[in-house]
Amino acid sequence: MAECGASGSGSSGDSLDKSITLPPDEIFRNLENAKRFAIDIGGSLTKLAYYSTVQHKVARVRSFESSGRDTEQDHEPPYEISVQEEVTARLHFVKFENTYIEACLDFIKDHLVNTETKVIQATGGGAYKFKDLIEEKLRLKVDKEDVMTCLIKGCNFVLRNIPHEAFAYQKDSDPEFRFQTNHPDIFPYLLVNIGSGVSIVKVETEDRFEWVGGSSIGGGTFWGLGALLTKTKKFDELLHLASKGQHTSVDMLVQDVYGGAHQTLGLSGDLIASSFGKSAAADKEFSKEDMAKSLLHMISNDIGQLACLYAKLHCLDRVYFGGFFIRGHPVTMRTITYSINFFSKGEVQALFLRHEGYLGAIGAFLKGAEQDNPNQYSWGENYAGSSGLMSSSPELCPTQRFDLLEMDRLERPLANLPLLLDPSSYVPDTVDLTDDALARKYWLTCFEEALDGVVKRAVASQPGSVDAAERAEKFRQKYWRKLQTLRHQPFAYGTLTVRSLLDTREHCLNEFNFPDPYSKVKQKENGVALKCFPRVIRCLDALGWEERQLALVKGLLAGNVFDWGAKAVSDVLESDPQFGFEEAKSKLQERPWLVDSYGKWLQRLKITVE
Amino acid sequence: MAECGASGSGSSGDSLDKSITLPPDEIFRNLENAKRFAIDIGGSLTKLAYYSTVQHKVARVRSFESSGRDTEQDHEPPYEISVQEEVTARLHFVKFENTYIEACLDFIKDHLVNTETKVIQATGGGAYKFKDLIEEKLRLKVDKEDVMTCLIKGCNFVLRNIPHEAFAYQKDSDPEFRFQTNHPDIFPYLLVNIGSGVSIVKVETEDRFEWVGGSSIGGGTFWGLGALLTKTKKFDELLHLASKGQHTSVDMLVQDVYGGAHQTLGLSGDLIASSFGKSAAADKEFSKEDMAKSLLHMISNDIGQLACLYAKLHCLDRVYFGGFFIRGHPVTMRTITYSINFFSKGEVQALFLRHEGYLGAIGAFLKGAEQDNPNQYSWGENYAGSSGLMSSSPELCPTQRVRSGTFDLLEMDRLERPLANLPLLLDPSSYVPDTVDLTDDALARKYWLTCFEEALDGVRARGGPGAPGVETGGSEFVGVGGPGRPWSKRQVW
Repeated sequence: MAECGASGSGSSGDSLDKSITLPPDEIFRNLENAKRFAIDIGGSLTKLAYYSTVQHKVARVRSFESSGRDTEQDHEPPYEISVQEEVTARLHFVKFENTYIEACLDFIKDHLVNTETKVIQATGGGAYKFKDLIEEKLRLKVDKEDVMTCLIKGCNFVLRNIPHEAFAYQKDSDPEFRFQTNHPDIFPYLLVNIGSGVSIVKVETEDRFEWVGGSSIGGGTFWGLGALLTKTKKFDELLHLASKGQHTSVDMLVQDVYGGAHQTLGLSGDLIASSFGKSAAADKEFSKEDMAKSLLHMISNDIGQLACLYAKLHCLDRVYFGGFFIRGHPVTMRTITYSINFFSKGEVQALFLRHEGYLGAIGAFLKGAEQDNPNQYSWGENYAGSSGLMSSSPELCPTQRFDLLEMDRLERPLANLPLLLDPSSYVPDTVDLTDDALARKYWLTCFEEALDGVVKRAVASQPGSVDAAERAEKFRQKYWRKLQTLRHQPFAYGTLTVRSLLDTREHCLNEFNFPDPYSKVKQKENGVALKCFPRVIRCLDALGWEERQLALVKGLLAGNVFDWGAKAVSDVLESDPQFGFEEAKSKLQERPWLVDSYGKWLQRLKITVE
Repeated sequence: MAECGASGSGSSGDSLDKSITLPPDEIFRNLENAKRFAIDIGGSLTKLAYYSTVQHKVARVRSFESSGRDTEQDHEPPYEISVQEEVTARLHFVKFENTYIEACLDFIKDHLVNTETKVIQATGGGAYKFKDLIEEKLRLKVDKEDVMTCLIKGCNFVLRNIPHEAFAYQKDSDPEFRFQTNHPDIFPYLLVNIGSGVSIVKVETEDRFEWVGGSSIGGGTFWGLGALLTKTKKFDELLHLASKGQHTSVDMLVQDVYGGAHQTLGLSGDLIASSFGKSAAADKEFSKEDMAKSLLHMISNDIGQLACLYAKLHCLDRVYFGGFFIRGHPVTMRTITYSINFFSKGEVQALFLRHEGYLGAIGAFLKGAEQDNPNQYSWGENYAGSSGLMSSSPELCPTQRVRSGTFDLLEMDRLERPLANLPLLLDPSSYVPDTVDLTDDALARKYWLTCFEEALDGVRARGGPGAPGVETGGSEFVGVGGPGRPWSKRQVW
C-alpha cells in the first residue's frame, strides 16, 4: 500500500515503438561530445541525462598596441574584435515516453562518439526492467542508483540552480502562477513525489532525508482507473478529458446531502462529500469527461490532504510536488492547492516545480558526476534548448512527445552583490511581465518588431561567413516560436521579464553561432564615444557645481537613449547616422521627468559635500 | 472535498420498493407500545429507533410464612413460585435499505397505536430528503438533529452499554476478533465514521468533540466506482465480489517495480505501490472480482492511513470506526488494521464496532429521550432480538446474509437496576468474570455448543406451556450481573 518508487514501474505492457524517426538535432543535441549518462525510467516516461560540451563562438575584445598609434585618427576602431571558439559545459535532459526507449537507445548508440564512457547511472523502477536492454544497446554498464537519493539530490539541485523553479498556483488570482525567488536556505521541506504511487519524503539537509510515508493512490491510479472507466489509455488524453468534465454529476456534494452548506461544521455546499457518490445510481450513463474529472479531483484531493497531514506532523510549512503526474495541469494544481489550504487552514504551502519530472534523472546524473563537483558551479537554464512548462491548455501542443531541459555551466559561479542589504529579497527586474498583461503584450510586440533588425545585424556581424544568412533565418524562426509560446504561456520559463526575453534571444543567437550581432555596432559607437569623451569632460569641468550635477544626470539619460533594444531608438539610429550624444541630449524631455527625484538627490549630495 | 455527513445523502436514485411484504412480528417488534421514535437516513440505509415496553412473565420467589411450618418436612418446597407480569423498557433499532422506506413507514403507521407520540427525531442526510414523506406518512413532526452530535452520543452510548461492542481484528491470529472489555473511561478517542464519505471526529468528553477532518473517499466511492467498474449496483454484492478477487492482477506491487522488496526503505514486495497501477495496460480484461478487491483495498488503505495520521496529529491511540461501510467485512477490517499498524508503527489501534451502523440512530433517539435520562440506566443487549454481527465468511450463510442485509435488528433491554462494579474487586476494569473465552478456544466452544444443543430438548420439556421465561424477555433467575457485563441467564435457555 505504501508507494516506494520515485517513478513507479514499467510493468504496464507498453509495446516498444521502433518505427519512429527522431529529428536528431532537435532532441539528442550535442550527443557527439556527450560523456556522462544517467537515465531514470519510470512507469511511463524515460528521462535521459547527459553531460556534454558545446563549442561556440564568443566575441572577444582586444586592445590594439597603444604605442605608436594615433587614437585621434578618424575611421580607426578603438579595439579589435576577435571571434574565438570556446568550449562550455552543458547538461542535457530529455524526457520521452517509454514506448520510444528502444528507438532512442539505438539513436544514442549510433551517435555516441566518445568511447571513454563506460557506465550509465540508472534509477527509477525501469532501471531494473530495462537493465539488459540498455547494457546490450549502449554497451555501457548500468549502475543502479537509489531512487530516493537521486530524487532528493535532483530536487535540491533545481531549487538551488534554476531561477523560478518553484511556484505556487492559485486559480482565481492573476497571475495564476507565483514563482518563488531562489533562496539559499531551501531546508527543511517536504517532497511529495507523485509517480505511479506517491512517496512522501522529509528533507532536512543536503544529505539527511527520511521517507515518512506514501500512498498507493497516485498517477498510476489515475491512469489505471481512468483507462478502465473511459477506455482511454493515454495519460495526457485522460487529463484532457478531465479538463472538459463536470465532476458534480458524478460526485456527491455537501449540498446534495444537506440541501446547502453544512452550517455546524462550516462546510461549503460545493465541497465533495463523496467521490463518485452519485455513480451507483441506476439507469444513467456518465460521460467520460465527467468521470475523468471526478477521478482527478479524488486523487488530487487525497494527495493534497496526505501532504498536508504529513507536513503538519513533521512541522513543515512547504511542500514541493515532484513526479510525472501534475504536468502543469491546472485542475490538478488547483485541487491539490485547495486541499492543502483547506486542511491546513492555510498553514502549509503547496509548491509545484517546473521540472518536476526530471528530479530523479538530475539526481542520478549528479551522483555519477560527483568527482566533477557539479555543485561547485553555477548553472543557468538555457532558454533556447529547453521546452518550458507545458501549456495550461493541452490543445496548444498535443503532439509534444519529447521534452527538453538544457543547463549551461556559467563561466563563473554566481555570487550576490555584496552591497545588497538583503540579497534574498532583492528582485533585479522592475516589471514582472506575467503579472502585467498590458506590459507583457507591449514588450512581446516590441521584441517581435525588433526581430528583423536583429537578424540583419547578425548577418552583418559575420561578413566573412557563407552560411550566416541561413543561420540567421533559423535563429529568427526559433526566437519567433519562443515569443509565440510566451504569448500563450507567459510562465513557461518562470517569471517573464525583459531580462529573460533578452536572455532567451541571446541563447537563441548563441545556438546558431552568433556570439554578438552588435559587436560591430558597439565597436563603431565605442570609437565615436571615446572621441567625444574628452570634450564632454572638458564641458562638465567648466560648469559650476550645481549646473554640473544636472548636466551629469542629463548626460546619463541621453546616454541611455543609445539602446538598440528599443525600437523607437533603433529607428532613429538607423535613419540618422549623424545622430549623436548632443542630439540625444537635445531630444530629452524637459523636467519634471516621469519619475523625477532629482531635487531630493541634489539635496542629499549637497549635505554630503558640505 | 471534505466529507461532512455522518451517513451521506440519499441522492442516489433509489426507487422505493412498495411491494414488499414485511414479516411484522420479526422486524418491527413491540410497535404497539412504541412511544419515542428516531430515524437516521443515510445514503443507502435507514436506521429506525424506537422505545417500547415489553410485558412479560417473571417468576418470583416468595417465602412461605415461616411461622408454624416445618422446613424439615419432606416434599415441601422451601418457597413459593409466583409468576407475575412485568413491564420493562426496551430499545428497538431496525436497519433496512432506503428502498424499503415507504413500505416501512406505511407498516409503522398501520401498527402505531400509541397516539401520544408527536415528534420523530431525525438525522443523517436523508432527514432532509425524506422529511416530507415521514411527516405525511407518520403524521409526526420531524425534528432534525445534528448529525455529528447524534453520532458521538450514539458512539458513547454503545461503548458504555453494550458488552464487547468494540473489537480489534487481526486476520492471521486466532481468534480474529479481539473484543474489548467495556471501560468506564472511554475518552479521548478518534471516531472515523465511514458513510458515503468519511468524517473524522476527535471526542474528548461526553459533550466536547471536534470534527477534525474528512475525506471524500468513502463508502459512496466504493459503491459508485464499484458500480461503474463491475456493473454491480448492490453494495453487498460488491463486497462479495471483492472477497473473491485477487488485487495483485490490477494493483502494481513493490515487487512489480523493483523485482522484490525495496531494501533501502524496508518495504515488502507485497505492498501496493500503485492502486490500479496495472490496469492501464493494453489489451487485457480484468475480472469484476479483482477490480472490486483492488478498489476495496484502495479505499480501506486510504481511510486507515488518514485515521492514523489524524490520530497521531491529535495524540490519540484509539480509533473507532463507525458508519455503514465496514459491515464486518474481513477484507475491509484487515486492510484498515494493516494500514493503521503500518503507518503508525503499531502505535495506533483500529477498533471496529459491532453496531457501527446504528450510532446516529441511537444518538438521535437519545437526544429525543433526554428527559427520560436513558444514560442513568444500564442497558443490556437482547441476544434473542438482535441480529448479531455479520458472518465473516459470506459463503457460510448466504441466505442469512441477504436477509440480514435487508433488515438488521438490535434490541436493548433496560436492566432492572443500574449495574455497578462489585466493590470488592481490586481493578474492576480488568476483571473478566468468565473463565473461558469460547471464541478463543475452539475445542471448548465445540464442547459447549454441543452441550447446549443436546440440552435443548430437555429445556423445551421443562418449559411447557405457561412456563415462565421461555419467551425472550428473560427472567430473573440468577439476579447477578457481572461487573459492566450483564451476563444473563439467557445463556442457559
